[in-house]
Amino acid sequence: MRVNTTPDNVQLIGGEMLLWSDLTQARDWGAIATELAALFVTERGRVLVVGPHPEGLFDMVAARAGSLSALLRSYPDACALATRHPSARVFCGRLDVLAQAEPYDLVLAFDGFAALHSAESPVQSWRESLAALSALIADGGRLILGVENDLGVDRFVSARPAGREGDDSQWTPHGYDVTYPNSPETVERELQALNLSTETCYASFPTREAPRALLATHVLAQRPPDALTVPLSARGYDARMIVADPLHLTRTAFRHELADRLAPLWVSVARKEPSAPSHTILPTGLLQSGPIVHEVIYGGTGWSRSALSAPPVTGRVRMVAADASATIPHGRVLEEILLEGCARDDLRALRDTFTELGAWVKAQTPSIAVFGTTDNLVWDGVRLRLAESGWTLDDAPIVEVVLCRILWRFAVRLLAAGHHHPWPWPIEADQLALTLAGMCGIPCDKEHLESAMRLEEEIDTVIEPGRTPPAYRELLEARDHLHQCLSSSQARVTRLETKLTFRERDLQKTKAKLRKVRRKALACRRTLGYRLSLRFARPRRLARRVLRKFSS
Amino acid sequence: MDESNHWYGHSQIFGGYCGTAQGGVLPRIQGFVQHGWNYLHGFPPNDKWCSPGYPRFIWSDVLRRRGWSMGRRDHYLIGAPWIYLLAMEPELGRIPEDRREGTIWYPFHGWEKSSVHGDHARLAAEIREVETGPVTVCLYWLEYGDAAIRKAYKSAGFRVISHGDRGSRWDGKGRDFLRGQLKELRRHRRVASNRLGSALFYGASVGCDIAVYGDPMQFEDERPEYGGTERRMRLWPDLHGVRVDRQLAHEVARRELGFEYQAGPEELRRLFGWRKARCA
Repeated sequence: MRVNTTPDNVQLIGGEMLLWSDLTQARDWGAIATELAALFVTERGRVLVVGPHPEGLFDMVAARAGSLSALLRSYPDACALATRHPSARVFCGRLDVLAQAEPYDLVLAFDGFAALHSAESPVQSWRESLAALSALIADGGRLILGVENDLGVDRFVSARPAGREGDDSQWTPHGYDVTYPNSPETVERELQALNLSTETCYASFPTREAPRALLATHVLAQRPPDALTVPLSARGYDARMIVADPLHLTRTAFRHELADRLAPLWVSVARKEPSAPSHTILPTGLLQSGPIVHEVIYGGTGWSRSALSAPPVTGRVRMVAADASATIPHGRVLEEILLEGCARDDLRALRDTFTELGAWVKAQTPSIAVFGTTDNLVWDGVRLRLAESGWTLDDAPIVEVVLCRILWRFAVRLLAAGHHHPWPWPIEADQLALTLAGMCGIPCDKEHLESAMRLEEEIDTVIEPGRTPPAYRELLEARDHLHQCLSSSQARVTRLETKLTFRERDLQKTKAKLRKVRRKALACRRTLGYRLSLRFARPRRLARRVLRKFSS
Repeated sequence: MDESNHWYGHSQIFGGYCGTAQGGVLPRIQGFVQHGWNYLHGFPPNDKWCSPGYPRFIWSDVLRRRGWSMGRRDHYLIGAPWIYLLAMEPELGRIPEDRREGTIWYPFHGWEKSSVHGDHARLAAEIREVETGPVTVCLYWLEYGDAAIRKAYKSAGFRVISHGDRGSRWDGKGRDFLRGQLKELRRHRRVASNRLGSALFYGASVGCDIAVYGDPMQFEDERPEYGGTERRMRLWPDLHGVRVDRQLAHEVARRELGFEYQAGPEELRRLFGWRKARCA
């Protein structure tokens, strides 16, 4: 690593890490971080971005702000950024030695302080890091700070102990810093102590590695509808070993009004006092769905969302602008209603619900109905409604295939999770899906099902790449279920064995009886009386034959 | 375990400190002892010979952090062998403070596989200009064997010495390397070099003033991972120059040599896989 190839706009401030890059481990913010930051970037504003951030965010700031400065500990990353943005000033090194004469109007630290410490010096505490960062903010300037929650819902989901991966970035272990905040209120207090007043604190979901939603903590007490909480969970676990169903756990956290406490990540927007009154209205929430970021709106009419950008028109599975803005429906998620019906063996309720589903699928355009999976449909007490709408599919298949996709997906989840259900236990997902189709009033066959499976793969690749693996708790359930199945099979085998033994015994008896009768008959034929009767019978038979001849 | 564990008499020092039989061939150290001050991770960049699973006995915590970030594990902080020598020899070579005089100067050295290129005569002239008292130039045994280099310093009126071969496990050559160095450092008031290195920190730890000046010279196989002289200058700007703050040098030396990580004899014996020597 020759330091003499350093671009002119890179300044080595001490603590720079020559053989290190944060790019591979950087948080995948999608587009929500950029959208939030864009609200505060002004034409004349001086912006400092600390730590690794998405390229799109750097591009946005470089294009809109008066000046862009960045602080990166990695020397290769700093050089790459400086080359990409020649007008930016890139400081390479550690936070505590960055002394800047001119403070900044906006400081972006979406990734917190974890990637700001260098191996060249002992790690500062969270509080010390915040103080160092605070010193760089101008009066009236803003700070956007991400803080990971050590008790986030994703920590409950993950099977592996957090912070003990032992990767190359963990030369100092996490979790032993007593100044590290444990709630949004603590973050607010720490900021306040440094003259930074919190404007809004956002709870971020579904995971700390790939946040896709920011919801203001003050509105979480208003019980956001299930249709909003569905997209906040269940994604981003494809390559990890998990112990619990993230969808269930996240929705339970929301239901128990613990979403702000259990959010994987908090993002605070704070302003340094003294500050002039601000005209920037902070959004209630930001939610990324596919390539589009929606603003979540909460008001007198309830919850709604509005697309902040037009969707790109590409691919067979895509978002459409017409449905990009919509009210977020209230009501229960269909999958929960179905699982409750299964758990209670309430076939009447299940039949009613599946009939409603069949009617909904028939009533909708297939290109939209195909996205109505049981975890994306909400029953508002009157009718079914799509929780996350806006997707469409070109050359949509027939109704049977659409329905098969929805039912097969549900059947697979039901059986894989080991939920109780009223259908005969040897039933497989394929058979169950076809049975459910019958309950919906739309008979389907194997060919429809095969087309549905192909369709499922195609849609998943775009909407939900990487399916959530079965959780450990569900695997335990599935194991118990299999154990029950095995016990039932064993009981069945035992019963059949017993029956077979009885039948064999009956057969032996009958055979013995038959042998006895045969022996008796043979003995009878050998007797004198039998033989004499045969002799006497012959002339009489001859006489009858002659008489018959003459009479004819 | 590895030959470098025995260079400069390091294993002998540990043997003495742990009470293991001295004089003969010491048992293997089950691990890899950092054999010189280093600002990477305690070992050369191409450290594949450090088998995973064996501890790397390093001097300071910054090396552990850097090593960890570079994918190295199994670090165990024990500090430099020098601190064990000081613990055992508090009086070796010590003279009254007011009788300490002159400068011991360590020109940057090469090793068996790579040499250092530079103008020693010019460096000698620079030393002559800077130093006011008597100067002892201590050459590495390889450079000491070069008559031209010796002459460059001798002709400037300096005393030219060498602490000798760094030795190996099987010969007795390097056994008294550090002891000899300790004696020399304790009789000089000042230690200097053209690159920051072990000798300067050793000197600072025994009360010498330090100085880093002169052409740092070019190492034949200079590895880019170290980041060059520029990085040393960035990391320790205050330690470069003809006059360096004595207190600061002492603090940095204590940190770089890992004084606060000194382990006890029993701990070391267990770690090295050694048994305690039987009493006669």
